[in-house]
Amino acid sequence: MKLDPSFIWTALVQILSAIPTTLYITVVSVLIGFVIGVAVALIRLYRVPLLYPLAVGYVTFIRGTPMLTHLLLIYFGLPVLIDGLAAHFGWSFRSVSIPMIGFAYISFSITAGAYMSEVVRSGLLAVDRGQLEAAHSIGMTTPQALKRIVFPQALAASLPNLSNSVIGMLHGSTLAFTVSVVDINAKAQIVASTNWKFFEAYLAAALIFWALTFLIERVTSVIEKRINLYNRGGVA
Amino acid sequence: MGAQFDISFVFSFLPKLLGTLSTTLLIVAGSLLTGIIVGFLVALPRLYKIPVLKIFSEIYISFFRGTPILIQLFLFYYGLPEIMKLVHVDMTRTPVLVFVILTYGLHTGAYMSEMIRASVMAVDKGQVEAAYATGMTGFQAFTRIVLPQALGIAVPVFSNLVIALLKDTSLAFTLGVMEMSGKAQTLGSLTQHFIETYIALALIYLVISFTIEKLLLVAEHHLLRHEKRNTPEKKSFKINKNWSYRRIIAELGPGKGGTGL
Repeated sequence: MKLDPSFIWTALVQILSAIPTTLYITVVSVLIGFVIGVAVALIRLYRVPLLYPLAVGYVTFIRGTPMLTHLLLIYFGLPVLIDGLAAHFGWSFRSVSIPMIGFAYISFSITAGAYMSEVVRSGLLAVDRGQLEAAHSIGMTTPQALKRIVFPQALAASLPNLSNSVIGMLHGSTLAFTVSVVDINAKAQIVASTNWKFFEAYLAAALIFWALTFLIERVTSVIEKRINLYNRGGVA
Repeated sequence: MGAQFDISFVFSFLPKLLGTLSTTLLIVAGSLLTGIIVGFLVALPRLYKIPVLKIFSEIYISFFRGTPILIQLFLFYYGLPEIMKLVHVDMTRTPVLVFVILTYGLHTGAYMSEMIRASVMAVDKGQVEAAYATGMTGFQAFTRIVLPQALGIAVPVFSNLVIALLKDTSLAFTLGVMEMSGKAQTLGSLTQHFIETYIALALIYLVISFTIEKLLLVAEHHLLRHEKRNTPEKKSFKINKNWSYRRIIAELGPGKGGTGL
């Protein structure tokens, strides 16, 4: 094997076609994860009985185990569960009809949910309780106060964490190759093994990921500047 | 999807998987050590703003934080031998574990350096000036005043990093290293009891990360024992005072954006 710098470019062009898959996985898991995260964070903050221990258990389990095990557990476990239920209730739906990428979506959303809940929780905790009380004192209801006063500030406080989570999920999406989804990493593997140029192909994949990460960071910093406008000057 | 689910397999797999725990821990320990050394070396140019080196360390950090660890693993595994060939070093006989530890070490090093940098910077500058005022030298001020405080600040981030590293080791199987997740895969395909193996695997990871977290929490309490007096209530919805602290933690990247794969 000899280094072939020109192949990096060839590989780059070929791998580009897999970017949408990676982005789909990232976006879907981050969005669903965020919804799960908000629910779990609110359950934990308000200590909802019954649900509270479940939420804590969920977050501990997910954060304590690798993303790969989540993916494989879902990949092997979900079909058994679905087929069992289907047989029991006589559904016509079988797990075979779930596309491979579906497993990635489900598993990564569950993973993202746990991490997002911590992001949301710390963001909400970062807002001074007095703000909520002030909102109440001028007659806002709690949902109003949360929506108008607490959430915007919490969002600003958690933006750096949020951006990190998105990047984390972007990088985590490389695991999708284990369930035969052709994302950037899997595409790089294919390009590498068909041309027997592994280093060049993975370098191309690394460059793409680097660029995507850089993009996310830039976008975040722009949003951060806008969202923190209220924070400029001030009494603090 | 293989055989019927049978919980007893989970228990029979546990000891089998624990047999490879040493490999996993070896990777973690080896890369932590490499990571801390690299982290220090990389953090210094940025802390002291050394002209050219600063740019290098920025690129290094950006690259290792900006690309997935899986890609880095493959990149090093396939790339390093070829690059070493250019300087006439033969790496064909190097054990795979070396590549794995090196990659994880360099990967963690990038996060470590950010952790070191941020925690040193989080110590109030006035403290150093006060130390100078009492006649300490720069070295004394660093070891006696800055370092103990920086350590306390760094521990939560460090704990996240170690756990993230532990979880990342689950990818070493892609290069054929028989650590826990590699073993789990083998066990799964041998017995066709995939769900049970991965439950057992998850349980082991859970216990180890829980232990690491608890141990480092003890360390944190010990290191921050002088600070505790100033933070009376912890559980209420109130943080504004801690805002700057939280920001630091946030900017450190709460370990790897959270996922740690």
